[in-house]
Amino acid sequence: MYQILLVEDNADDVELTLRAFRKSDLVNTVTVVRDGVEALDYLLATGGHAGRDGEDLPDLVLLDIKLPRVDGLQVLERLRANPRTKLLPIVVLTSSIEPKDLQTCYALGANSYVRKPIDFQQFSKALQQIGSYWLETNQAPPAPA
Amino acid sequence: MTAPTDDHSLKASPYRAIFLAHSEPMWFYDRTTSAVIDVNDAALAFYAMTRDGFLRTPAGDLLTTHAARRADGRIFYADSHECDLGGGRALVLVALHDVTALRAAESALARAEEEQRRQTAEFEERVRERTVQLQAAISELEAFSYSVSHDLRAPLRSIAGFSQALIEDAGPSLSADARDDIARIIAAAGRMDHLINDLLTLSMVTRAEMRRESVDVSELANRIVAELADLSPTRPVSTTVASGMVAHGDPRLVRVALENLLTNAWKFTSRRERACIEVGQRDDSDSTGTVYFVRDNGVGFDPAFADKLFGPFQRLHDAADFPGTGIGLATVRRIVLRHGGRVWAESRPGQGACFYFTLQ
Repeated sequence: MYQILLVEDNADDVELTLRAFRKSDLVNTVTVVRDGVEALDYLLATGGHAGRDGEDLPDLVLLDIKLPRVDGLQVLERLRANPRTKLLPIVVLTSSIEPKDLQTCYALGANSYVRKPIDFQQFSKALQQIGSYWLETNQAPPAPA
Repeated sequence: MTAPTDDHSLKASPYRAIFLAHSEPMWFYDRTTSAVIDVNDAALAFYAMTRDGFLRTPAGDLLTTHAARRADGRIFYADSHECDLGGGRALVLVALHDVTALRAAESALARAEEEQRRQTAEFEERVRERTVQLQAAISELEAFSYSVSHDLRAPLRSIAGFSQALIEDAGPSLSADARDDIARIIAAAGRMDHLINDLLTLSMVTRAEMRRESVDVSELANRIVAELADLSPTRPVSTTVASGMVAHGDPRLVRVALENLLTNAWKFTSRRERACIEVGQRDDSDSTGTVYFVRDNGVGFDPAFADKLFGPFQRLHDAADFPGTGIGLATVRRIVLRHGGRVWAESRPGQGACFYFTLQ
């Protein structure tokens, strides 16, 4: 089974995302972190997550852009600069369709950019498609050396 | 042969009569000694001096560099001419010629130039200030639209999402009325989402950088028509798109404009059994260049309101009959204006509408 890291500060969106994933049988673990600092600590096994096994990376990261403390764009930049998370599949999941955000995310190495639909059925469908594609269809990058 | 130039010979010259009678004040003096040798009556009158007094006055006192003070005290600007009369004497002939008006004109011109320089500098300063203000306004608008795009949609997703969750979790135990209420909440959230998206598009077309290139309008229109047909496959709509239409404009913005016009045509023909939509162009001989048009046989509008049509949030039809945000045509107008073009519409109620636009 697969592991997903959800980086999301909005409690409602967390709840709706978990609800959508519960309906699909793809995922067994969704770990939620609430801001950019915690996301980096979790993935790089530093700070509050220093005790974590750094080799144990999620299969997919769902990353919001607008986050407290360190925003999603900075998280993306730092993860891509680190050899261990350089190739980690990251899907930006956001409300923004600002052309500047799209441009920056792709330039920083996001694998995909999805705008969260308002309608819950479309939102669920989008998440199921993301899960199905990135966890099942797509060949994951080789584990970091 | 050289004319004799001693004082006596000079005064005996037959030309002296002309000199004396000349209307311009004149005298001449020896540059070496500064002694005035002869003076005419006009000069005596000018200075109100006697001939003896004049002849005793050193030449330098009569004329500063370019000005003389007249008997009435007025400064009189003058040109003087030096002429070599030969015979080994450097004689200077002074002919007072009033250039006061010329001087006045020159200084007025200089003042005007100075004023113009000052005004130009002031204008540039004002442009700089306005540019700074405008840039501040633009970044504020950007921050605002970012906030609209992100922060306003998040609660909307909660409203729609948890309403849906409520139906899923408690559906069987809810009355039909309660389920209908929840469906209305979800639909309202969806409408607000459309409104936000349309406002974002409107703000985008205002802020977006323009990149003009050749745009295949025919292909673009065909593609949009195909997309609309995909969205409502059961509706038979007869569409005609003229071939070979090419415009010089920003491809993204032209697409948004055509999308809005065609979506409107599609929407307002929904009550027609035989909906017809035509996209074409005509060349106006009166210099406006190519006029593109989107014509439909839909419900049309009252021409009395034709000027209201392009204002934001203006709707001429009941939202229940024809849903929409009232932002589409405002967006079209902004796009056309940014291209330096014009947009207008013709219609009669019940007889379809035709929207025209130019791109330069």
